[in-house]
Amino acid sequence: MLEYFDPRTDLDSHIDYGTPPSTFDPTPVADLISLKIDGNDIKVPVGTSVLAAAAMAGINIPKLCATDSLEAFGSCRLCLVQIEGRRGYPSSCTTPAEDGMLVKTQNEKLATLRRNVMEMYISDHPLDCLTCPVNGNCELQDMAGSVGLRNVRYGYEGDNHLDAEKDTSNPYFTFDPSKCIVCSRCVRACEETQGTFALTISGRGFESKVSPGEDQAFMDSECVSCGACVQACPTATLTENSIIDKGQPDHSVITTCAYCGVGCAFKADMKGDEVVRMTPWKGGKANRGHSCIKGRFAFSYATHSDRLITPMIRESIDQPWRKVSFDEAFEFAAARIKHIQGKYGRLSVGGITSSRCTNEETYLVQKMVRTAFGNNNVDTCARVCHSPTGFGLKTTLGESAGTQTFDSVEKSDVIMVIGANPTDAHPVFGSRMKKRLREGAKLIVVDPRSIDLVDGPHVKADYHVKLLPGTNVAFVNAMAHVIIDEALEANAFIEDRCDVEAFEKWKSFIGDIRHSPEATEKNTGVPADIIRNAARLYASGGNGAIYYGLGVTEHSQGSSAVMGIANLAMLTGNIGREGVGVNPLRGQNNVQGSCDMGSFPHELPGYRHISGQEVRSQFEKAWNVELDPEPGYRITNMLDAAVEGTYKGLYIQGEDIAQSDPNTHHVEAALRGLECLIVQDIFLNETAKYAHVFLPGTSFLEKNGTFTNAERRISPVRKVMPPLPGLEDWQVTMGLSKALGYEMNYNHPSEIMDEIAALTPTFSGVSYKRLEEEGSLQWPCNSASPMGTPIMHVDEFVRGKGFFALTEYVPTDEKVNRKFPLLLTTGRILSQYNVGAQTRRTPNSTWHSEDIFEIHPQDAEDRGINNGDRVALSSRSGTTTLHALITERMQPGVVYTTFHHPNSGANVVTTDNSDWATNCPEYKVTAVQANKVTSADVTSEWQVQFEEFSKTQLAYVEND
Amino acid sequence: MSELQHLIKMANQIAQNIGIGASEEETIDKVENHITLFWAPPMRKKICDYIETGANDLHPFATKALLKIRDKL
Repeated sequence: MLEYFDPRTDLDSHIDYGTPPSTFDPTPVADLISLKIDGNDIKVPVGTSVLAAAAMAGINIPKLCATDSLEAFGSCRLCLVQIEGRRGYPSSCTTPAEDGMLVKTQNEKLATLRRNVMEMYISDHPLDCLTCPVNGNCELQDMAGSVGLRNVRYGYEGDNHLDAEKDTSNPYFTFDPSKCIVCSRCVRACEETQGTFALTISGRGFESKVSPGEDQAFMDSECVSCGACVQACPTATLTENSIIDKGQPDHSVITTCAYCGVGCAFKADMKGDEVVRMTPWKGGKANRGHSCIKGRFAFSYATHSDRLITPMIRESIDQPWRKVSFDEAFEFAAARIKHIQGKYGRLSVGGITSSRCTNEETYLVQKMVRTAFGNNNVDTCARVCHSPTGFGLKTTLGESAGTQTFDSVEKSDVIMVIGANPTDAHPVFGSRMKKRLREGAKLIVVDPRSIDLVDGPHVKADYHVKLLPGTNVAFVNAMAHVIIDEALEANAFIEDRCDVEAFEKWKSFIGDIRHSPEATEKNTGVPADIIRNAARLYASGGNGAIYYGLGVTEHSQGSSAVMGIANLAMLTGNIGREGVGVNPLRGQNNVQGSCDMGSFPHELPGYRHISGQEVRSQFEKAWNVELDPEPGYRITNMLDAAVEGTYKGLYIQGEDIAQSDPNTHHVEAALRGLECLIVQDIFLNETAKYAHVFLPGTSFLEKNGTFTNAERRISPVRKVMPPLPGLEDWQVTMGLSKALGYEMNYNHPSEIMDEIAALTPTFSGVSYKRLEEEGSLQWPCNSASPMGTPIMHVDEFVRGKGFFALTEYVPTDEKVNRKFPLLLTTGRILSQYNVGAQTRRTPNSTWHSEDIFEIHPQDAEDRGINNGDRVALSSRSGTTTLHALITERMQPGVVYTTFHHPNSGANVVTTDNSDWATNCPEYKVTAVQANKVTSADVTSEWQVQFEEFSKTQLAYVEND
Repeated sequence: MSELQHLIKMANQIAQNIGIGASEEETIDKVENHITLFWAPPMRKKICDYIETGANDLHPFATKALLKIRDKL
């Protein structure tokens, strides 16, 4: 029997404690309270309920409306107990444990009361247990058994809910109200866990029922299909359709979601080698048991009929594909690459690693480029999203990564969200942030659009800095100016922790009147008093945390904006402890990891420049090869050189640059110029349509490895089904490398991680064994911090002293004029992921079947555009057409669309402007014009060509 | 935009952004350092060759930095 329960170490994620663990920190141990439950002594922290204390002592009190993801509710009356010296039978979920309490959880009287309660429930519940979808996994069934219910004296006649109609509107789950016991767990999950407030209990007494929206169907309500209600339901009322169709799983494997950079832990619920359900894992430290529509439900793409599982080759892209063995594909590809290097030189080929693949796979691709290709022409899609984060944070703080854990938000007092839309793009973290906001934290939103956080249910921004796209640096400078101007800076922190000389220089720079909000108003379009108030709040409102996204990085001054943000955090002392920090929200699942693994052309794993003799020689020794000391091409440079005709061979693993990279015309011209394009992917993506070699890839369900999320958390990815093509991605890279003459011999991805750990100081404490033991680890993880590093820069910055970088606002060259009077900014929506290759092949498309063009009512009226009209969207780069949505989420002069569907051509319109330091493309600012297209079915020239080209290319696969 | 036009634009952007608050000499050093650290050798060569042709659309600091880079190629 456990006598002393420390929730920081002793919580078992497999157990439902009934109420959330106390947040009270039980140190010193003497502050714990002692009570006796059924004769067992247990010490628990203050704030623990009697129900949870009992569970901690291994005693299971029957319960229905209680679950430890939700606050105690006390409605089911099953968890009644007797407490010595107290009257009646209090519900243990709502009764806090107290020192010296003597609790009785089982006796004749309690048993009778519980049976009576169950009898009432069952008198209005279908008795179809044997054919019920949750048979074998039903808390109501378990409780009926536990309390020993033997008959129902009321009979089953009279008014009941047994014929209540099912709601099957959601493609992923069914709502069967006949099974409902009105415990409110779903309603509370929607409020407390997800923060959407889409569900309520309508009616009173016998009429009480769960109602999405205002008695609407789930699909017509505000429901975001996160699955929290389904997860919380103790009966068959809310059940996954996959479980209704296939039955309960026979085993489960804990793994890590392959969608966004939150990196949620999931239990893959399996029947044999088939995934029947993904359930969020309570033990996952990034998500703490929550999920979103993508990770929870959108996994059927993995077995979609579009999957290509056989290698294919062809001489040129106007020929049909020929299916071949892996070995033949490797030989073909290697011969071509060698031929190209012989003809055009060693530097004429390169590779692109994937932020969707595992650390181990990414590491191998960059290793293969540096060894077998013999150059450093390797880059990753982080180039086009967070490369400015790497540059900016390394310059100011000393490490290219976010400073916090996601848990840290629970301690924040002021949250500033800049150019990020967490409720759509990082939904599970968005929910955690909303929870803190409902507890009273203040919110500053900096975004050209009115994102959901600005004004949502029980969440409202204190200040919405609705700036014009492209003016982030003017904004951060104005914030800093106010803090200096009004003497709100954290002088002690700066003196102690920062480079004081650099600070003084910066201070006189930022103090200039040109940075004042009154002066920058003309650039940002934001009234000065909003910025003054926001700056005062951030600087003096307690723990201030900044969360930012691609709305900061994807600009011509992305790196400057990141440095400006780091300046703000240092200036106010908001770094180095819980609740504060600089937090880049990463787009894809393994953006952090792909950067860590040496995917950038100038850096070896662990962010060490290739020109460093000492580091390079370590790798030369380990890899038994001489490395090129010069940096290689970045993606944008590769494409330029390809158009120029000097770059001819490219190996791309798990990326779709033809759809995701800006200025599609330019990308297509580059791809057409290649003599050997090798694409490794699970589908024939847009880029693969220009390829000569197709190597079939595997989904995250088919391989072992690790992903690293936005909080530097390395989490295991576990194989739950065999790889459909026969080889896992790391094995494919090994095969290609061998054919090129550089042999690698790994038997398991754990051996690759061992090599990474041996060569990378921040990873030296990471191994599969340690990950197995700890669940996940946050780097740096080494002898200095063997348990990993949740919060960075605690006593000292990684670079020693924090560096205040001077960030002048330099407007982008992309300017509006009479021909292109609107500014286009692009982004993502909740149900689709990145280029949509995965989510478009799931029922998620029910929510977002096409990319929509959003425009302010005034701009729409000026152009005679109505809702649903087809609109031609033109920029200096190209033209595409989209259907319009008129919305006040936009500000006048700013328009928006997403890039999830290839035929939308959002990137036909974006330009090849890029960040000054890193070449990260400026997706977020494009001068455009929008005109109504008179005929609804007219599309742009590019769209017509795209459809034609796609059709031809798909036929080349089918005709084989 | 051609590869060369891109390189010119990139070099100018670096020159505009990297030397805020620094002297001319420091700025030129920073531009040189940045391009040496992050540009592949063929990119450096291409823009240095361009300087030989009497380029007049480069930021003066970029030109001076590139002349230093050219001498080390």
